Amino acid sequence: MYSDLLHSLPDVLGLANLAAIVIGVIAGIVVGAMPGLSATMAISVLVPFTFGLEPLVALGLMAGIYNGAMYGGAIPAVLLRIPGTPAAVATSFDGYPMAQKGEGGFALQVAVVSSSIGGIASALALMLLAPPLSKVTLLFGPAEVFWVAVFGLCSIIFLLGGNPVKGLVSACFGVFVSVVGSDPILGTDRFTFGKLELLDGVNIVILLVGLYALPPVIDLLETPLKTEQKSGKLGTEPIWKALPRMTGFWMTWLRSSLIGIWIGILPGAGGSMAAFMSYNEARRASKTPETWGKGEPEGVAAAETANNADTASALIPALTLGIPGTAVAAVMLGGLLIHGLQPGPMLFRDNPDVVFGFMWQFLFGAILLVFLGGSLATNSFARLLNLPRPLLGSVIIVLMLIGVYSIHSRMFDVYLMLGFGAIGYVMDKLKFPLPPVVLGLILGAFAEENLRLALRIGRGDWGVLFANTTSLILVALTVAVVVGPLVKRRLQARKTDAS
Amino acid sequence: MYSTLRNVTLAGALMGAGMAAAQDYPQEPIEVIVGFSAGGGTDVMARTVAPFLEKYLGDGASLVVKNVPGASGQIGVTETAHADPDGYTIGTYNLPGMMARTLDREADYDADSFTYLANVVNDPNVIVTSKRSGLDTLDKLLEAAAEEPGAVTVGMSSLGGDDHFMLTKLQNMTGSEYTIVPFRGSAPARTALLGGHVAMGILNISEVASFQDQINIIGVATDERSGFAPDVPTFKEQGLELVNGALRGFVAPAGLPDDVRGELLAAFDALKDDEEFLAAMTATANPVDVVTGDDFQALNAEILQTATQVWEETPWQ
Amino acid sequence: MSTPLKDRLLRAETLAAAGIVVVAAGFLVPAAALPPMSALLPATMLIALIVLALALLISDQRKASKGEAAEQVTHSPKRVAGAFLLVVAYAVAVDFVGFYPSTIVSVPLVAWIFGFRNPAGLALATAITVGAIFVIFSLAMSQSFPAGRLWTL
Repeated sequence: MYSDLLHSLPDVLGLANLAAIVIGVIAGIVVGAMPGLSATMAISVLVPFTFGLEPLVALGLMAGIYNGAMYGGAIPAVLLRIPGTPAAVATSFDGYPMAQKGEGGFALQVAVVSSSIGGIASALALMLLAPPLSKVTLLFGPAEVFWVAVFGLCSIIFLLGGNPVKGLVSACFGVFVSVVGSDPILGTDRFTFGKLELLDGVNIVILLVGLYALPPVIDLLETPLKTEQKSGKLGTEPIWKALPRMTGFWMTWLRSSLIGIWIGILPGAGGSMAAFMSYNEARRASKTPETWGKGEPEGVAAAETANNADTASALIPALTLGIPGTAVAAVMLGGLLIHGLQPGPMLFRDNPDVVFGFMWQFLFGAILLVFLGGSLATNSFARLLNLPRPLLGSVIIVLMLIGVYSIHSRMFDVYLMLGFGAIGYVMDKLKFPLPPVVLGLILGAFAEENLRLALRIGRGDWGVLFANTTSLILVALTVAVVVGPLVKRRLQARKTDAS
Repeated sequence: MYSTLRNVTLAGALMGAGMAAAQDYPQEPIEVIVGFSAGGGTDVMARTVAPFLEKYLGDGASLVVKNVPGASGQIGVTETAHADPDGYTIGTYNLPGMMARTLDREADYDADSFTYLANVVNDPNVIVTSKRSGLDTLDKLLEAAAEEPGAVTVGMSSLGGDDHFMLTKLQNMTGSEYTIVPFRGSAPARTALLGGHVAMGILNISEVASFQDQINIIGVATDERSGFAPDVPTFKEQGLELVNGALRGFVAPAGLPDDVRGELLAAFDALKDDEEFLAAMTATANPVDVVTGDDFQALNAEILQTATQVWEETPWQ
Repeated sequence: MSTPLKDRLLRAETLAAAGIVVVAAGFLVPAAALPPMSALLPATMLIALIVLALALLISDQRKASKGEAAEQVTHSPKRVAGAFLLVVAYAVAVDFVGFYPSTIVSVPLVAWIFGFRNPAGLALATAITVGAIFVIFSLAMSQSFPAGRLWTL
């Protein structure tokens, strides 16, 4: 297998294939950086074109876009508090406060370096460990995946914000939105009111654009025109000067890469969950958790490492088992099928050059990210922020419409997005936290579906949820994460009482 | 460039509706509505068929695929049903799904809404078991099911699809009972089978052909062995009259002019013997079985009848 | 100093909480018609929302009786409503009149209404936005945007 890996390298280094990666990464960064446009949308728009392209050119474009967009999403998340992609929500927690402190440039540099590291780690995992990691995927049946989802849902506790009641309202709202559509088991319509457009549920991008992009746009328009106000004192310095300030991040990079890779090989969860989880874990491990959420660079590093670390690893189950780990991987799988590359164990045997070439492309894409996404891209986007606010707002409105419309080519989604926008505006102003809504939407129905599948497998016996070691380990982890901090606080309180 | 072309098409379609004569058809690009996203199985079929259809329609015919995804293809097929029957809009059509949806859901179309052009793909069902279950023959499987009704868990892609009808046929034929575990699509079902989380699975042959070493394929529900896995015996060979599968083809709105229909049917008929076409379809995991015109309509009626029967006896919702 | 009842009931948070209760209760009606396993999660969420919203309502009213100022949603409700209406109007225009005509009008119009009045800047921004979208999406990717329902009837 490793000789196949080397054998495929010369092909990848061909001019057309290299150009495809470079163009892909740049396009990905731009798409990710545009509020409203997402990686899923970019790749779905691209797929019909790949019919006419050489397989490696097509795949190189996709790999580049995927990697680029996962970083690109950080740019508006940091500068405008509008996550460019669902996976960049966690990036905004600390990135935006950093930008407000005049550290936006550094935040973006942390983001690009971390994205690149996560991407490289993920590509290496895909190249070297795909077969053994696909065995890990097989360990996770519905019961185990249910516990993973529960673990993820528990991290909502850390996202509740100042008022836990409001945080829970947000979470319940997100979970409720997740059940709209056809029932995952029975196929019965739930809250679709006869609308076929709602049968597949509410696409995360629609919710995200509505909740996260519309309120800031309204704010951009609402604030009286003050062009004199310098919105973008970015504070950029060359990347080699910024690097020494990141030396303390290596533990976070390592941990977040592992979390991202792990979430990637579990089908269905995706980059947003990886970013949320890795952010929480990094904060728990931090010596100064109180600085988190107020502009802690390590928070940006954690989120951005993880959302790139899940890109290539999501292809492990996709290539070996035919189950995509993320929405983007699902679209890519389609791109592979178009070229007659059918996922499964035979794929590595029958088409080694293309498959291993694809893996190299992920690696190169991740490495290129530092160079292409570095100061140049960052600065040009930052300059956009110096545009007069009303103008910026009116352009973002157009991008939002395009981004949402292009997912399924229908206006229904645009109206739905506007509805969420109205809700999001009120929530934002009344200080209901938005992250629990996103996490609830991603994990709510996902947990439900797997629970009900597990119960069917167990023929109604709840014992099936605790029937094997993997499940028990996950339960123990969840309990530790939830109860641990409480116990710690209690102990600390006792200690201060005693002294 | 394409978009201007499209605009011209739209304008042209408006003016020229109903005027198409056989020798002139097709004068404009033909829109193919695919009810799934680009890159899905049905989409790949449509895009693979398109150039061959263009070839046999001649006169510089061109087919433009338009993806109208959502609701398991129902949104797209509804759009096809309500399009102008002028031959410039055709759509992909999946069986038994499209007919089953007229039973378990409000649908704005029925079996009479279409002009049946051709079925192109027939992906037969297979029964597979996980290596861990130890049920490596049909006899062992039936025995285990008979021993304790419901003890065997069956992973499949959804309720009300071809997998489900296949299982119902099996249950009726053998008087056995299974526990259905409907996953979201066949890939997760197959993965659960590979991991041994369910004992048995009902899938389609194209979905398991490359996993033959990892799971036991008990049999294939066809009259003759499938080219995709020639080593797998049919159920007929094993004494069970089980024939079932997922069908993918093309329809046009009802009321297509006869001459246009004739042109299209002739083009589809020509696919049957095109070696290059057959190779392209095999490469994209599409077992070909071209059935055109009235035969396709009869096939549709037959499947609708089966679905209605299952729905009345054991409604799945 | 006690606040008049009308003011107390019109506090933004009270209104939002009451709204959540009403909407969630409304959704319970279709939830009741679902098969039990199907209804379990949504019904739990709706009931939780009602309980949580009631808790919010009570705590906000307590704050009101203590005379605490209400959460303020916006300083200029008219501008917010105006901005939102403009966005909705743009979406409706795209749907009925078509993407390109609506966008060409909307980009400068929205910016102008909200205070950016430099004609050259407006023209340039509109040209760049619409041009880039046309080249990337319509030319290169042959994506089709809504052509306008009015013209196809």
